Order: sequence, then structure tokens, then C-alpha cells
Amino acid sequence: MNNIVHSTQLYLSFLSASLKEMLIYRLDCIAGMISQIVTQLVEVIFIWITFQSTDNIAGWSFQQILLLYGVTLISVGISDFCFDALYDIGPKYIRQGDFDKILLRPVHPLLSIIGASKEYSALGYLGLGLFITVSMLIELAIPVTFILIAKIIFFSIIGAAIIGAINTIFSIASFWTYKSNEVIWTFYRMYTFAQYPIDIYNGFIKFIITYILPFVFVAYYPTMNYLGMDKYLIWLSPLIAIVLWFVAINVWNWALKKYRSTGS
Amino acid sequence: MPIIEAKNLIKKYKTIEKKAGITGYFKNLIHPRYKEFTAVNNINIEIEAGELVGYIGENGAGKSTTIKMLTGLLTPTSGQVIVDGIVPYEKRIENNKKIGAVFGQKTQLWWDLPVIESFRLIKKMYKIPENEYRKNLKTFTELLQLEDLLEKQVKNLSLGQKMRCEIAATFLHNPKIVYLDEPTIGLDVLVKENIRKFIKDINKEKNTTVILTTHDLKDIEDVCDRIILLDRGQIIYDGDKQKFKDTYGNSVTAEIILKNKEENITQKLWEEDFEIIEENENNIKIKFSHDKTTIVKIVEKLSKYGNIEDIHMKEAELEDILKDIYRGVKIC
Repeated sequence: MNNIVHSTQLYLSFLSASLKEMLIYRLDCIAGMISQIVTQLVEVIFIWITFQSTDNIAGWSFQQILLLYGVTLISVGISDFCFDALYDIGPKYIRQGDFDKILLRPVHPLLSIIGASKEYSALGYLGLGLFITVSMLIELAIPVTFILIAKIIFFSIIGAAIIGAINTIFSIASFWTYKSNEVIWTFYRMYTFAQYPIDIYNGFIKFIITYILPFVFVAYYPTMNYLGMDKYLIWLSPLIAIVLWFVAINVWNWALKKYRSTGS
Repeated sequence: MPIIEAKNLIKKYKTIEKKAGITGYFKNLIHPRYKEFTAVNNINIEIEAGELVGYIGENGAGKSTTIKMLTGLLTPTSGQVIVDGIVPYEKRIENNKKIGAVFGQKTQLWWDLPVIESFRLIKKMYKIPENEYRKNLKTFTELLQLEDLLEKQVKNLSLGQKMRCEIAATFLHNPKIVYLDEPTIGLDVLVKENIRKFIKDINKEKNTTVILTTHDLKDIEDVCDRIILLDRGQIIYDGDKQKFKDTYGNSVTAEIILKNKEENITQKLWEEDFEIIEENENNIKIKFSHDKTTIVKIVEKLSKYGNIEDIHMKEAELEDILKDIYRGVKIC
């Protein structure tokens, strides 16, 4: 318990340090944010174009799909903000030899690394996600109750945790290759499949994003719940997040141990 | 009981045997052949609390590998390390609380933040009590002259300023053991002296054990009482620094000013029990060993070849002795 309190305090100290660092580079940060928002808006335009020739995709209306898109963006924004440093392990820490200094600290290296840097431009995703989500809820005339708000906040964080755990698992590639950021990126990008109703995919992709890399629990099932299409599957999300993190930390520790015995 | 104990420590690395050419590249890709390389070969070390130990050897002798095993960064292939009662590579985080380390020019400070912010983060990480932190910060600021640096961003500091801050950061949590790997590399003389004095002062005050590896043997000469000399993964000397110098450093160099010197006396004197290492128009440099001859005898011989005006003698320094050893003079 003491340990958790100390880790949380440390995480917050790291967070405030990274905030100070961001303020030094605030122009970079703002530029990053704008480019992220523009990229996402392009996607939204494509969805809109698609809907010019049809009025539903796999039974979902334009507004419903945009809601799913927005809810996904919120989780992606949070996860990019929190776990972006995982991409640095291979190219930055291990390649440049800074990993040793992380290993010499009296805290778990994952806490040091994840705490070390925050991707503030990811707050652009978060903002856009919130905007799309709120406007679609209004468009669809879904009553914005206190319970719904609480649910969206809670499950968005859970969704971010699921993405973060998956990224953490693949970040162990860092111990074998400097190009680990590309490995993480490849698997991470599969979340985009779960940004659309999964019935449009064939069985193989459905299987992957449900059972192997369970991105469908990030936003798809939660959004179905908000839309009243599904009642129960949403509650699997927290469970999956916990299991994934348990796996992630153990896999990571195993890989670190392996790395320390080869020392290369 | 020693604070650091290493028993029969061995570390072997596996490297891929590189084959030449493009076909060799593909052969490696499909069927890599591994070559085993022993970086540390069966070494035993015992270090008592409060010792100042110089760990020296040529590049590739296995110094860094040993330090990495002692700090828990690497797991040995075989053998055992116990540091203050625990095995560092098994209980890494527990061990980390008790040690400090500087690795060359790698900084543990936050690059974009003012130095003092890094110190605060370190305070949180190591849970340094407030009064202890304040006391150390005050002492270190004085000893390492940090007043004007604390509010500056790390990236704006010069190499010497950065290293002074780095050293302060390393000692901030009162570590029992500090590993310093090349702490003075690239620094100017004044900063080097400042850092050496700091290490000695802290050792005296807090009985901190210090393991120092460096290429600047003045560091060792100045700071350490004991040296461990490593060669190709094995310890070839372990003991008192002064005794090392007395035993292996009995050679003396002398510069003798000879006026009206005959030309080319090196050729005439090559059979003597001293060695002429340099000959110029008005002076020669010689090297001899106390147990073979004396300066009086040498002067007597040399006086036949010119008028001796002055003699400067210099006892061998650590650096000269080590050069001899690396050149292949057998010891032990």
C-alpha cells in the first residue's frame, strides 16, 4: 500500500516535471496538436463522403459512427498522452545508453519511463474526441445524464489503459531491436479497426481485435452501451484492462531479466 | 564483513561471428554462428565499508562489465556478488536505494529543467528526509560551488558544471556505495581537483565506499588508497596503492644537463645498467632502477662525456608503472 502511494506521488512529480518541460517547447506542442486534429478531421470527412452514397454502415447511422469515432479518440488521446514514452525505450533509452541510468533508480523502470515524458499534443485528440462525442450525443437526442457522463469518463480511462497495456507488451521489442517504436506502432494502429462497427470486417479481423488485441473493448462495446444496443459487454472492459496490465508487467519484467543476462 | 563481495565472478558474452561480404551477411541472417567471449574471468573482490578503491585496466579489460554486475545492471554468467547483504541483480531496486553511480557523460539530470528541479525529483525518488536533503544541498553547494548553477537548465551548463551537479545528485541520498565510471573525463584541471576533493571529503565525513574507474591516473593517485588492476578479465594486482608503487615502481627517471657533451653518447653507453631514453644537445634523460645502480655511479660515468651542470630526478608515477605493466612486464 505504502508502495502504491509512493509510486503515485512519484508519478505526479514526474508529471509536473514534464509539464514544465512542455512549457519550454509550447510552440512545438501547439503545432503537434493542430496537425493531429487536422489528420483526424480528414478521416471524419472520409466517413461523411462514404455516407453520401449510403444511409447506414452495418446498421449504424452517420451520427452513431461518429459517436464511436469520438469515444475512441478520447481513449486514444488519454493513452497517447500517458504512454507515449514507450516508443522511446528502444531508439532513445537503449540505443543511447540511457537505459542504465533508469535501471539504477530505486523505482520500477516502467514508472520512470512512462512518467518521464508526456505527449501534450495528444490533448488535441482528447479535445476533438470530446467535441465529437458531445455533439453526437446531442444530435442523437441521447439524454446526457450524470450516470452517462460518469460512464464515459470511467470507460474512456479504462479504454486508454487497454491501449497502454497492449503498447507496453509490444514495447519489450525494445530489448531486441532499436526499431521497437515501429513494432509498437504496427500493433497499436490496429485500434483503428475498432473505430468502426466490427460487422463490416471478416471473421479473422474480428477474431484478432476481440480475442488477441482486444481493441473492441476500448470504445466499441462502451459506445454500443451508450447507444442502448448492448447492456453487458461493456463491463468486461475493466476486467480485460486488469488482465492485460497483469500480463504486460510480467512480460516486461521477464524481458528485462533476459536483457540483463545477455547485456547487449 | 566486507560491504562488497564478489566470488568467482565470470561474465561471458555471446557475439555473432561476422562473415565478410554480402553472402556472409545473408549467412549470418540465416545461420548465425556465435562466438563466446569472456569479459570477466573468475575474479574475487572484497571491499570494506569506507574504502576508496581505484579499479583500473586498459580498454576492454572488463572494468565496466564488473561495475555493471556489482550495480545489478548485469547478471553474471556464474559466481556471486553480495553488496551490503543482498544480491544486487536479484533485488535491484532495493540495492539501488543504497548506491549512487556516475557513468561517464551520461547524465541522470533532467535535461530541460533547472538543476534544482532534478534534485527535488531525486529527493522524492529516494525518499530523502527534508532535513537531510537541506543539509546535503547546503554542503554540496558549498563544496562544489553550485550556487549560480542551481537555477540554470541542465542543457545550458558546460561539461564541468554539469559534472559537478551530477556528482552532487549522486551523493544526495547519502549512498553507502558510489560507483564512479570516468567521472573526470574531458574536464579541466580545476574542476577535476574540485571533484577529487569532494569525493575525499564526503568519504571522510560519511564513510562512503567509493569505487572509481578512470583513465586519468591522477584521479587514482589523488583519491584512492587501494587499487585493483584488471587485465584481460583477470585481476593482476589488488592491494595498497603505495605498496604497488614501491614494488613495481622502483624505476627512476632523471634529466641531466650536460654542457660540452660529446655527440651520440647513447651508442657508447648502451651496455650500462641504466637506460638513456632521450638525448639532446645539452641534456639527456635516463631511466634506472634503485636495486641495480645509484645516481652517484651514473653521474661518475657520465662526467667523462661532458660537464654536468644540473640533475632533476623524478620517482615513477602510477602512470609510468602501468605503462610498463601494459607493455608486458610480468608482475606477481
